[in-house]
Amino acid sequence: MSGGAELGFTEHLFKVLVIGDHKVGKTSFVKRYVKNQFYEELKTTIGVDFSMKVIDWDSHTRVRLQLWDIAGQERLRGLNRVFFKRSSGALVVYDMTNGSTLDGALNWKHELDSQVMLKNGRPIPAVLLANKCDETKVCRRNASLLEKLCQEKGFIGWFQTSAKENINVDEAAKFLVKHILQNNEESVKEEEQNMQINLKQQSKSNSTCC
Amino acid sequence: MFRNWDKWVSRRFQKVKMRCRKGIPSSLRAKAWQLLSNSQELLESNPGKFDELEQEQGDPKWLDIIEKDLHRQFPFHEMFAARGGHGQQDLYRILKAYTIYRPDEGYCQAQAPVAAVLLMHMPAEQAFWCLVQICEKYLPGYYSAGLEAIQLDGEIFFSLLRRVCPMAYRHLKKFKIDPILYMTEWFMCIFSRTLPWSCVLRVWDMFFCEGVKIVFRVGLVLLKQMLGSVDKLRELQGMYETMEQLRNIPPENIREEVLVQEVVSLSVTEALIERECGIQVRKWRESRGVLTHQPGRRLHGTRAIFEQKHRAAAISSGGIRPHNPPLSITRERSQPEFLNKTVL
Repeated sequence: MSGGAELGFTEHLFKVLVIGDHKVGKTSFVKRYVKNQFYEELKTTIGVDFSMKVIDWDSHTRVRLQLWDIAGQERLRGLNRVFFKRSSGALVVYDMTNGSTLDGALNWKHELDSQVMLKNGRPIPAVLLANKCDETKVCRRNASLLEKLCQEKGFIGWFQTSAKENINVDEAAKFLVKHILQNNEESVKEEEQNMQINLKQQSKSNSTCC
Repeated sequence: MFRNWDKWVSRRFQKVKMRCRKGIPSSLRAKAWQLLSNSQELLESNPGKFDELEQEQGDPKWLDIIEKDLHRQFPFHEMFAARGGHGQQDLYRILKAYTIYRPDEGYCQAQAPVAAVLLMHMPAEQAFWCLVQICEKYLPGYYSAGLEAIQLDGEIFFSLLRRVCPMAYRHLKKFKIDPILYMTEWFMCIFSRTLPWSCVLRVWDMFFCEGVKIVFRVGLVLLKQMLGSVDKLRELQGMYETMEQLRNIPPENIREEVLVQEVVSLSVTEALIERECGIQVRKWRESRGVLTHQPGRRLHGTRAIFEQKHRAAAISSGGIRPHNPPLSITRERSQPEFLNKTVL
């Protein structure tokens, strides 16, 4: 997923899923993140919508984030098999004003883990987003509950966000990207190690041949 | 033509087809769509049914989603712009009625734009029966759980593309762009959210007459236009760039007359689609196992709906028995009164 490292500059392309029940604000989140705009009236997503966000992460790293905004209705989930392929991370969104969408988010997480994983077999990093926080606030009890849920269900963290008021949108995405980059580094290292082992084995077998 | 409709369909169908391809005048469109889809007869043979469905409570599971979707259909159309306005109310009525009419099917979000287009042309009750015909005769399975029908059509579509425009096919294959990624909305919403409005109406005119073949053809023509030349592909060097283009077709690139002309002249026939369907069903069973969707239920437009209706009527009146009655016939409501009508 990473580009050439000319003069120490690396460009990465990551595919990030934006998933969750219908009407929790996935498309609004993406529009806020990518275009910094909020629309009161958005069409329902049928199938999947694509957006791209380019982030200059630091002086020698650029990240191109391909956001896959996936239709939320349960009926449309038959297609997820195709959408989930080769993704590097996920933003799992629920609507704080509608408690049942949190259960929905957990189902989405479960489905995600059953369909994609990292090369080392671990789940891909996923952040839980408690969206529409401008309409209600998380009380302390809920916060500790969410904390616990994240640990149990394997989310790397959670944020309360508002696409409408632009709260924590960038922060949540940044947090996810950081983890994706870490995973990426680890897998590159692992690959290098594997390659060295292979080389050693090869050289051994070569030497026995001769 | 409307007065002797059955005669026109049975004896001079070519003429009917040509009229639809030329575009139905807007003043006649509502009536024409209802005749072409046979929804008018369904309405007449079910008097009061729609009111009855409306009276029922409905499953809150569906009503909740429908309600949330009401203001998300054509938000810029005057009819659907106002929250709680008559357009949104009617949309709610017919989508709710459908979930009661077919509780096993329920509601799929892609039905809303289709219903909205119908409502722009006719009152709620008529639009409801027209929607029923689309969901059950034209595109059965498109809105059902599992979405097998749309995935199967995606495979058929991709395979037809290979024939029609190998360059576009190779490009999509190279960037691993599964048909599901771009054709889902096109097909499920019958291009109502994809094409400029004048084109949508022309496509729907042909679709009601000739069936799903038109949907396949329009999709193929669009891909041909967007990915069918070296120049165009040069700018689309990547999966994202290609998807961006396919998901946001610039309206200025689509000219109504050119689109219709190409759709009409494309050599993708019902027989070809059916043959490809057979191949893809076999592949599906080999690679994925069970297929619950029955592609045989689909009828290719007015003519096929008309013929099925006649067979059903003949069987129910105990008359001529067809050699191989299709399974779906047994599910049909008997319509003996129809026989009298053909005599007129």
